[in-house]
Amino acid sequence: MTKDLFSQSARFAYVSKTLRRVFDLWNYSEIFLSTVESHDHSLRDGLKIVFDNQVYLVKPDITSQLLFNMKTSDKRRLFYISEVLRNSISGRWQAGVEFIGGDGIQTHVEVLSILLTVFDALGLDEVFVDIGSLRLWREAVKEIEEYSSVIFESLRRRNFGMIEELPIDHRKKEELWELFNFRGQTGPYKKLNQVVQALSDHRVFVDLGTVRFYPYYDDLVFEVYSPKLGRPIGGGGEYRVGPLQACGFALDLNALIQLVKPVFEDDRTELKGNPETLYKEARRLIMKGKGVKIDP
Amino acid sequence: MDVGEYVLLFSKPFDVPVYVEHGIDMGIAGSDVVEERSCDLFIPLELPFGKCRLSVITPKHHIVPIEAMEGYRVGTKYPTLAKKFFSSRGVNVEIIKLNGSVELAPKAGITDVLVDIVDTGRTLAANDLVEIEKITDVSALLLVNRIAQKVKFDRINEIIHRIKQVIEG
Repeated sequence: MTKDLFSQSARFAYVSKTLRRVFDLWNYSEIFLSTVESHDHSLRDGLKIVFDNQVYLVKPDITSQLLFNMKTSDKRRLFYISEVLRNSISGRWQAGVEFIGGDGIQTHVEVLSILLTVFDALGLDEVFVDIGSLRLWREAVKEIEEYSSVIFESLRRRNFGMIEELPIDHRKKEELWELFNFRGQTGPYKKLNQVVQALSDHRVFVDLGTVRFYPYYDDLVFEVYSPKLGRPIGGGGEYRVGPLQACGFALDLNALIQLVKPVFEDDRTELKGNPETLYKEARRLIMKGKGVKIDP
Repeated sequence: MDVGEYVLLFSKPFDVPVYVEHGIDMGIAGSDVVEERSCDLFIPLELPFGKCRLSVITPKHHIVPIEAMEGYRVGTKYPTLAKKFFSSRGVNVEIIKLNGSVELAPKAGITDVLVDIVDTGRTLAANDLVEIEKITDVSALLLVNRIAQKVKFDRINEIIHRIKQVIEG
């Protein structure tokens, strides 16, 4: 049960309306996915249920659901606003975009540009994006593959002590330490630098300690956060759909509504009076694209 | 409590990871609690205190192997970890969540066995209980909020470095 359903819904409505407008202006199409999917190991999160001796997932992770449902590898620009369940009955609302079939860094620059316009449209001034690379870490641990699970766990915990205890060369530890703590606008990975330079925005950083562990992520990953909120607002990354390169992000609407101050513009025409004339006039105004407020 | 430029908060151990996940910059809690709450946070250091273990405990007069506990009632403050442990052994049990003085539950006939923290074993002995299997070692951990690590990068790294120096003597 929601504590204050009506005021929370008003804030959700304000944010989702703004996001829909931004995504539409970028020429992204809204996608509507099923609430329930047959259970499949490629689907992430969701609430597992059994019905008629079959296992299903309710409201799984959207990107994995999208990949699960993609029958052809066509170029697509999509967005969604949906609730997602994470192995629990209480859900989180998410809004996200997926750009499938872009070319080179254009894919990432476009998706991150959408993200930055979302911040601007919502009037969020202190929101930042940290970009990291899974490929860079995979390359770094290639020659010490047997320790890769410990190294990725140390990244997940941000515990370099776990790497320090490994019986690996001192120079390798130094190299991993540099990656672990690198944060700036120009790093050792050309691809990330190109993305950050193309965006040329003070809110975007290269942070090589930023990693996200969804199995479909291929290389570039990013996290969205604000110093005003103790939890990430969202994140995203690069993945593949067959031969196509793709990139997307998801924003946590429950987190966003805590940061956004809604601006309700009320330019509706107030109508009162006899129902016969009142609703006739309301229909006329609405057909002209003008909002009405009946019997205020 | 204000200590120089820092504010220290003292909360119940089970709430520490939740506080840190939701915006408190740093915290200290046992690995048992951190794993039970499974919060999204950073764990940069294991601290050299609070060492104990999470174990399966039975009454002294009724010692049975884990595999023979099918259908048993398990009393614990750690329902997630207990459920995970018994599932990993393919044993279906009924988990009964308790909030304190769990050692009374077998005596009162409420549960058949317990999953709880064992340190010296004195509490167990005083209640005619025995530890039959360790689930995991427990230690105090330093916790850091994910966003604080980014926006207070230098300050947090300095604190971690200083704690590490103290640990290493």
